[in-house]
Amino acid sequence: MSTQTARPHQESPARAEVERAARRRGLLHGLRMSGVQLFCFVVAAGFFALPLVYLLLQAFKTYPSFLKDPTGVPHPWTLSNFSAAWNQGDFAVEMVNSLVYAVVPDVITLILGVFLAFPISRGWFKHSNMLYSFFVFSGFLPAGLIPLFVEAQKLGLYDNRVGYLILTSLTGAGFFFFVGYIKTIPRELDEAAAMDGCGYFRFIFRIIIPQMKPALATFAIFGFVASWNNLILPLIMLNDSSLWPVTRGLYGFFGEHTSQWPLIAAATVIVAAPILVVFALLQRHLVEGVAGGAASGSAGVGNAPAAAVAAEE
Amino acid sequence: MSTCPFGTRRTRRWIPWLSIAVPTIGWLTFGLYPSLATVYYSFTNYTGLPGTPTTFCGLCNYRDMFSSNYSQLSQAVVTTLEYVAGVTVLQIVLGLGLALLLQRRRFGYGLYRALVFMPQIFSVTIVGVLFSLLLDPSSGPAEKIYHSVIGGYSSFLGDSDLAIWLIVLVNVWMFTGYTMLVYIAGLRRVPPELYEAAALDGAGPIRRFWRITWPLLAPATTVNVFLTVMGSLGEYSLILVLTQGQYHTQTLGMFMFNTAFGVNPDLGLGSMLAMVQFVLTAVIGGLLLWALRRREVAL
Repeated sequence: MSTQTARPHQESPARAEVERAARRRGLLHGLRMSGVQLFCFVVAAGFFALPLVYLLLQAFKTYPSFLKDPTGVPHPWTLSNFSAAWNQGDFAVEMVNSLVYAVVPDVITLILGVFLAFPISRGWFKHSNMLYSFFVFSGFLPAGLIPLFVEAQKLGLYDNRVGYLILTSLTGAGFFFFVGYIKTIPRELDEAAAMDGCGYFRFIFRIIIPQMKPALATFAIFGFVASWNNLILPLIMLNDSSLWPVTRGLYGFFGEHTSQWPLIAAATVIVAAPILVVFALLQRHLVEGVAGGAASGSAGVGNAPAAAVAAEE
Repeated sequence: MSTCPFGTRRTRRWIPWLSIAVPTIGWLTFGLYPSLATVYYSFTNYTGLPGTPTTFCGLCNYRDMFSSNYSQLSQAVVTTLEYVAGVTVLQIVLGLGLALLLQRRRFGYGLYRALVFMPQIFSVTIVGVLFSLLLDPSSGPAEKIYHSVIGGYSSFLGDSDLAIWLIVLVNVWMFTGYTMLVYIAGLRRVPPELYEAAALDGAGPIRRFWRITWPLLAPATTVNVFLTVMGSLGEYSLILVLTQGQYHTQTLGMFMFNTAFGVNPDLGLGSMLAMVQFVLTAVIGGLLLWALRRREVAL
């Protein structure tokens, strides 16, 4: 070991000189890199994180100190805004509502989506391709928000929890993401399973759904985020405030407490915190999902794996 | 066409239909029907108030909108186009810039990318409240900066000349991360040998960008432009939280929402505005796809 490390020093002074130069260049290079690093950090943190930090700071101010110095650092730090916002805002109930409105439709949509996509993807119908195009095409029709509102009232789905869940679970979104993905699962699997006497529903739940895990996970995360963040639908469909999800609740809170910024900031922090935690945990999945879905264009999650690898650090 | 291998000879014909039955019924009821009903509703003067009848009145809403209320409609169309153009240009430029800057596979860059991407996981309510705070004309930091740098006062979101552009910026803040990620995925597909060859031939960084990066990013640009234009054309929830469509920020979607669900609800007129929105989206989307495809081929 020691002889090995000692040898270069003994060899020639020229070699040592070259090494020293390389080290110097490395140092310079390192400095320049850290300059770029710093710039990137300032851009990313300054533009995209600082607004949230500012919001967080406001939440710790007392109202009088906010009025005195609205943009400064909190002078007496206080936690009272959080408790006040929590008490006045009903956010605990609303978060449970949000969770229900996000999870239930997400799971149902995924399962129904697989059941819709599988036979079409396998070409079990005379006009499977036409059926597929028809479903995709229907996404480009006029927005149906207004008739949906009327329909919900007529069917008794307006302003109740189950009704809202039915409305959001059965819109049939996202099935065509799965069609392409199922095509990558070999047909021989169906035939072998059928030969062994496996029933269709068991086959879907036991074989196909586990096989589709990557696609389903991506879709589940995006579906969850989209439902959790939806403001328009709860605004239209839910009148009773005990049914509100947290987006609708915060919107109402904001309207009610205009310009009491420390209180509003605290409420916003309360609402944003769980999402931020989920984001920190799933950040990699989300980022990959976007890059994967986008890189393969409209084919979406179907061809995701290759692109996801590209996005992977 | 292949046949379903599952089930007995008798059930085999019905299994595929059974499989798609529930999702198809759901989609027909809550997807297709509302979309098609919008067309019908746009020919009625249904107010949506309980007990009022749905009366078919032909082109009444269209006639009304294109004559007496035409200024309101054209204002909404202009605002929509301004919004779409502003968001698209800024988001493409910033998204590409950030992609070039943050594409490196080094320590720390994953975090920077995550930070840039982060805003879009928040709901429009959170983002709307956040920017209402930042842009508050009496106590926000924007006011302080404006006052000390430019001088004077601005009411920001309450300023009819400024408000729509500020919402454009908020939208860009929220969604640039997505554009950036699409561009990064595109950049990673560019073969590095091309840059090495170009560098050997003495091409500088600017030349390399325009001759290699930009043409090879054409598919990513297509995706980004298309998604950004289509997304911002239909956007109104962010506007709802920030200004509710006041101060010249009433895009077509916002106009539709305010008409159908505002103080004096008019579902017939609202549906008619949804139709205008649909036609505008279809025309712009079609033209865009045609132009972007041609461009991709040309590059």
